[in-house]
Amino acid sequence: MPRDDKRQGVVAGVDRRAFLAAVGGSGLAGLAGCTGLGPGDGGTVTFGVVSPISGAYSSLAPAQRNGAELAVDTINERDEFSFEAEMVTGDTETEATQGRQAAQRIIEQDGADYLMGAISSSVGLALNELAAEEEVVYNPGAAAVPITGENCNEWVFRAETNTAQIAEAVSAYTVNELGTDVWFHIADYPYGESVLNRTRRRMAEANSESAVVETSRSQLGADNYDTFISDIGNSEAEVALLGMTGGDLINFVAQAADQGLKDEVEIVSPTMTFQVVRGALGPAAYGTYGGVRYVPALDTGDNGDFVDAYESEYDATPDNFARVGYQSILMTGAGIEEADSTDPAEVKDVLPDLETETIFGTNRYRGCDGQALNPTWMAENVEPDGGDPARVELLEEVSGEDAALPCGETGCDAR
Amino acid sequence: MASALVEQLLNGLTIGMVYVLLAAGLSVVFGVMDVINFAHGELFALGAYFGYAVATVDGGGFWAALVVAPLAVAVVGAAIERYTVRPLYGRNPLYHILLTFGLVLVLKDGIELVWGPRPKELSAPAVISGTVEAFGFTYPRYSLFVIGIGAVLAAGTWLALNHTRYGLVIRAGSMDREMVTYLGIDIDRYYTLVFAFGAALAAIAGLVLAPRNGVDPGMGDSVIIPAFVVVVLGGLGSFRGAVVGGLGVGVVQTVMRSYVPVLEGLVVFLLMIGVLLVRPQGLFGDPEFEEAGDLFTASGGVLTDARRRQLGVAVVALLALAPLGSGVLYSPFLLNSLFVTVLTWALFALSLDFVMGYAGLVSLGHVLFYGVGAYVTVLVVMHAVPSVVLALLVGVAICLPLAWVIGQLSIRVAGVYFAMITLGFAELFAQIPNKVTQINALLATPWLPTWLRLPALRGNRGLFGIDPVYGLTGGPGVGAVQVVGGVDLLYYVVLAAVVGSYLLARRLMQAPFGSVLQGIREAEQRAEFVGYDVTAYKRRAFVVSGGLAGLAGGLQALADGGVSTSYLAWIQSGKVIVMTMLGGMGTLYGPMLGAGAFFGVKEFLLPVTEQWQGVLGVLFVLFVIFVPEGLVSIPATVQARFAGGPSGGTPVEEPDPVDREVGD
Repeated sequence: MPRDDKRQGVVAGVDRRAFLAAVGGSGLAGLAGCTGLGPGDGGTVTFGVVSPISGAYSSLAPAQRNGAELAVDTINERDEFSFEAEMVTGDTETEATQGRQAAQRIIEQDGADYLMGAISSSVGLALNELAAEEEVVYNPGAAAVPITGENCNEWVFRAETNTAQIAEAVSAYTVNELGTDVWFHIADYPYGESVLNRTRRRMAEANSESAVVETSRSQLGADNYDTFISDIGNSEAEVALLGMTGGDLINFVAQAADQGLKDEVEIVSPTMTFQVVRGALGPAAYGTYGGVRYVPALDTGDNGDFVDAYESEYDATPDNFARVGYQSILMTGAGIEEADSTDPAEVKDVLPDLETETIFGTNRYRGCDGQALNPTWMAENVEPDGGDPARVELLEEVSGEDAALPCGETGCDAR
Repeated sequence: MASALVEQLLNGLTIGMVYVLLAAGLSVVFGVMDVINFAHGELFALGAYFGYAVATVDGGGFWAALVVAPLAVAVVGAAIERYTVRPLYGRNPLYHILLTFGLVLVLKDGIELVWGPRPKELSAPAVISGTVEAFGFTYPRYSLFVIGIGAVLAAGTWLALNHTRYGLVIRAGSMDREMVTYLGIDIDRYYTLVFAFGAALAAIAGLVLAPRNGVDPGMGDSVIIPAFVVVVLGGLGSFRGAVVGGLGVGVVQTVMRSYVPVLEGLVVFLLMIGVLLVRPQGLFGDPEFEEAGDLFTASGGVLTDARRRQLGVAVVALLALAPLGSGVLYSPFLLNSLFVTVLTWALFALSLDFVMGYAGLVSLGHVLFYGVGAYVTVLVVMHAVPSVVLALLVGVAICLPLAWVIGQLSIRVAGVYFAMITLGFAELFAQIPNKVTQINALLATPWLPTWLRLPALRGNRGLFGIDPVYGLTGGPGVGAVQVVGGVDLLYYVVLAAVVGSYLLARRLMQAPFGSVLQGIREAEQRAEFVGYDVTAYKRRAFVVSGGLAGLAGGLQALADGGVSTSYLAWIQSGKVIVMTMLGGMGTLYGPMLGAGAFFGVKEFLLPVTEQWQGVLGVLFVLFVIFVPEGLVSIPATVQARFAGGPSGGTPVEEPDPVDREVGD
């Protein structure tokens, strides 16, 4: 079998199930692209990577794509991988219909058997469905709990840290160290609600004196938070916990800093330490607290190699989205090696609980929900020596096992 | 308590001033030039980005940015007016939607190309940072600065409009362009000036908001709709309206946020709908102000009826036979995903054309029916019966009365106001998936039955994981049945639904109903004098259209395996208008062709460049200038040119295209 047999994958290009059904279980199946080949035979694996290159999350996409690209290069360079990898990319436009279409194009037209990507929850959930229909292994880049919860399926394995894991890091530290009277302000959509429900419950469990001063909600994508900032400042709250991300969080914190709210309460948000948030806030982020999914300064696993390789390739420090792109494809690659097959149906059977060396050290996709057991941290954004974007100072770690929801609470019944 | 209220009032005035700056430009440009400028939001973003560039360069700074950025954006605005807007004067403002929609794509991609997609930070100078003590409470200096600069600029604009010769000419031009030209004044020069001035005001708004809200490529999107609401609320073309509307919306929005939080995100649209229902021309709008301009419906082209019918049958036959080539000539993706999307959007565009091209009702809220159809179809599959056919029927059945109610309320306002009130309704519905908990809390009263409460819609996560079947209660699953070459049976279901809907629409247009509708579009008053109930006819058309849009949404949701809030996003309304105009409205097949062209060009550009949206934008701009009647007019234009007849860009004198299309 020639090494460059992507074209054959495209010949079949044809939906894999239909084609394999047509040729039956006979030896002919081996001709259907490289599916069924052992990696030792030098097959080429096509990874499809779909990212929100346009639309609301466009600022996060390049890192995800770069990380994935670096992983593909790594597979081709390292001897431990006996197969060749190639990557085809697509734009989800931060929207379910277009995201699904982009992924379908990659799977059916370019012959990708492995799919990685999406950042927005709805696109991730749509791709969950597509992965099961098309029978490809999918590594979501979205953090919503249901992706490996009630909407899980046996084809989905997530290297991204989910929102429940990160809420775990934030909750206990906040009420034990920062203050017990908490004002919850969330963006009015499921992410905000899930942060609210999860952190409120975990705070109550961690410290019986913790109390909810009030809960307020703003519309997703709102650009003016003066009202809430004034209300919080005029209240008894010691902590403002913000269940919002991206532009909403940036706007809120910028306006809160402007109105002097940081002098009155501690501001905490699960996503406050994100590179994009710190970069956009500048000094306004100093002194705020947040959960950490990843920072380049970690001395865990093979993070050092990853950061060096990423910096030399892209002249930028990797963020969490880059880590997820990179880690997703390498963990799947390890599965392909373990299965000794490039057939996703066989790979999906070996991936659960397969231990691999990762950026966070030894890690695995948990068998009960396909979620990677990533550790999380609570951290403070502190003023760096050189000025501008805040430096993330880790305060407390929650181990991978402790951060994940117990298997019985995930709602994942399909595995 | 009182100080908290005062604080909230000042908060409201701060954001209100930004609205005033944005809306003043938008409103004056509309009032004087009849231009609905969707690119205004991008000029606002461009102001922030130019400001960021100047402020962060050596020797720059915030104050230099405040001078340089508006001037730079004014130059961009002047160029836009001179080279893209000017060829369109005298045409219906609808064309500006397509034009400026194209410009939005171009400017947004340009910004991302130069500055990248990541948000930027722009700090305010120390002198206007921090807080200040006043009247017994602290207040951020920067907000006071925004209020101050907004007030000065608004007052300056008012003085310029009312007490200078320029203002005099501009006001005169907005009333009677021809008369001003006859008086020997080069009005075009003034138009360029007005557009540039509007752009500069938007740029200042973007720049003063930047230290509070950051600078990111999506910032234009987030303000354009509220800005339009302010303009419409105040009355199109009224400067006073823009000021009162901007401050009013800012204050009401901010205060309600604190005291009636359940209305968050709704209050602006409720306010607009309320005002338009009481005063259809807005608070300070001129009720006489209704000069529509030429709306080109496509001329049928060079084909005879028989030939056109043959062509139509051939296209359907080709689509029906297309799966035979799947896996041999092309991958199943082409039919399973791309063609299914093209077909559902063709149906969506057909539904819009039914009211826009035939009844002259430009609905900017058509996404409401598309989205509701999609949500209802998915909910029926999830909670009631898994049958594809029943779910689609229920989706349509819900959209019909919904369209009747919204039509009943909306049709009493005309033109751009109709576009905006339908947009308002669509935006209200777009909030529902994120507000289920609060809405159900309101409905949780003993005297209301529990079945009235909404099912879980899971906000922007959407509803995925449905298992629709082809039977009535069971049978083969939608994902499991394939015909040949890996093509899903769903492809045929969608094809049949779209062809059936087209035939239904065609039949309705052939009937007296269709003739009356076209009569209303051509001369509404005349139709009324003849004795037709114009409103009832329009409303019926709106109901049919709503049903078809609902069917389109339902089909797309089935193809996607679920639904999410993007099905209700206003941008989809914009897209479908673009497709309709691209193909040629006023013909039933034109918009369908437009949908095909839209996705076809995109599919072609995708592998070529990441900036495909920008290229698409450039194509829209060229298209609206040179081929205003849409794709279907190209053969006739080409033929006319070779025969030495009128060239493209001018309406071709031909018999009524609609009669030719639908008549026997």
